[in-house]
Amino acid sequence: MATAARSSSRADAALLVGCVVVSFIAIALPGAERTADGAVTSEGPREAVAGALRRTIVAPLVGLQRGSERWRSAWTAGERQQLVIDSLSMRATRLQALQVENDQLRKLMGLGTRLEWGFVPAEALHSTTPNDGLVTTLTLTAGSTAGVARYSPVVAADGLVGTIRNADPTMSIAILYTDPDFRASAMAADGNSFGIVYPHAARVGGGDSYMLELRGVPTRVNLKPGSVIYTSGLGGTFPRGITIGSIVQELKTAEVWTRTYLVRPAVSPSRVTFVLILSPQRVTQGTGNIWGATVNADSATKRIAAAGDSLAKQAAVLQAQARQAALDSMKRATIDSVRRSLGAPPLSIAPTDSAGRGAQRAAPASAQPGPRRDSTRARRDTLRPDTTRKPRP
Amino acid sequence: MNWTGAARTILVCAILIVLHYTLRPLLAWRASIDFIIVALLLGAVRLRPGAAAVYGLALGLVSDSLAVSSFGAAALGMSIVGFGASWLKAVFFADNLALNGFFLFLAKWVFDLIVLLVGHRAHGAEIAMQLFVWSPLSAAVTAVAGVIALSLLKPLMEVRTA
Repeated sequence: MATAARSSSRADAALLVGCVVVSFIAIALPGAERTADGAVTSEGPREAVAGALRRTIVAPLVGLQRGSERWRSAWTAGERQQLVIDSLSMRATRLQALQVENDQLRKLMGLGTRLEWGFVPAEALHSTTPNDGLVTTLTLTAGSTAGVARYSPVVAADGLVGTIRNADPTMSIAILYTDPDFRASAMAADGNSFGIVYPHAARVGGGDSYMLELRGVPTRVNLKPGSVIYTSGLGGTFPRGITIGSIVQELKTAEVWTRTYLVRPAVSPSRVTFVLILSPQRVTQGTGNIWGATVNADSATKRIAAAGDSLAKQAAVLQAQARQAALDSMKRATIDSVRRSLGAPPLSIAPTDSAGRGAQRAAPASAQPGPRRDSTRARRDTLRPDTTRKPRP
Repeated sequence: MNWTGAARTILVCAILIVLHYTLRPLLAWRASIDFIIVALLLGAVRLRPGAAAVYGLALGLVSDSLAVSSFGAAALGMSIVGFGASWLKAVFFADNLALNGFFLFLAKWVFDLIVLLVGHRAHGAEIAMQLFVWSPLSAAVTAVAGVIALSLLKPLMEVRTA
């Protein structure tokens, strides 16, 4: 038993020695012959043995390894492509955001150019994230040092944003139209229908659907959906003509004598990044018709119509005065000729009557051919008969 | 070891060898799992030391055929590791996973040491870095993988202590 164990130990040791010897022979096998630049000139016994193994016993394993490495390469290439796609899409997203910001800035610059004076540009910092609930305030990066005062209107290129609640030296807090305390006197584009804008009690549709209510519109006024609502300028907080929003629908209320409308604001507070704060002087002097193209057209039409009316009235007055002057001079000529025929001295030749003079003074020369012609004719009438009639007696 | 046990051992070792040539290139870790060492130890503990040395030589030559620059180094290392594992099989197959893991770690580290020294794969600081940083890391992940493999395959494999 002990002999068997000893002999098997010897056999094991011999096998180990044999394996070690074979290993050293393998290590000692000469490799491929190479030139100075590393190029293989001839394959050595080491490569021959290794190659033989690779082509026979190890071939399936080599195939498996090659397949795995291909998978790995494909995976890495896929990851690289994904990284490229991710970075591209990220860049595209940033580009989109930059484009939106650029558009906003362009609009704001356009608004600033149109306003010309009396405003302070500011960046709007959101105190809550857009998805974090109703945005009611904005922090603006301009304060009282820059001329911002309490209740100064805050506007964007699209229209009204809100009003300043607190003005610190370097920054200010603005309440948006979504704030429960917000009120604005509003009017329709025709400038005849007025009401008060309030924040809508319930959010409609979620997301950015911050809505407003136009209350107190007289029952006789029926505003159609899509009609644009502007600030009326009444109350002195907001200048006339800033776009507030557009009518969505009429809301059913218990009021009998007034109507209430749901208004979709022109400005989305969550997307506001840059604003203009109007100075109190600008509020006092008004902004003109910067926002309201419709107001512009309407008021221009009205002004043209009014001007046309006054011209017509003026022309009618002038015509009447000219007619009166002609009648006067005819009457005077008749009286003169009668007096002369009776031997009485003629009345002093008066110039045209006061009405005629007034008309001549009031109207431009080109616009008043009638009265002049009439007055000269009257003079001729008064003189001619005298000269013709004088030699007779 | 009966024929069924031998067949099971061969199957498990074949699976581990296949994993070495499929999973390892796929993972491509800097400190990679050496499934061949796990297969060597699993087989060696079921063989006599001499046979285990021959088994190690065979596996080493398979490895060397794909790394011609250090041809024979892996054969030498695996022969010695296989012989040692078979000789220490009672310790290796003690019913303690931590001990098994430690021996797997030791086997892999000794194997790397032999290959590095005999195969002249690295020099100077690089050899020290390889021996004391990357080899222990690779040995550690190999030990973890080997312990997991032993735990999973324990019901399948019949253990025969000397």
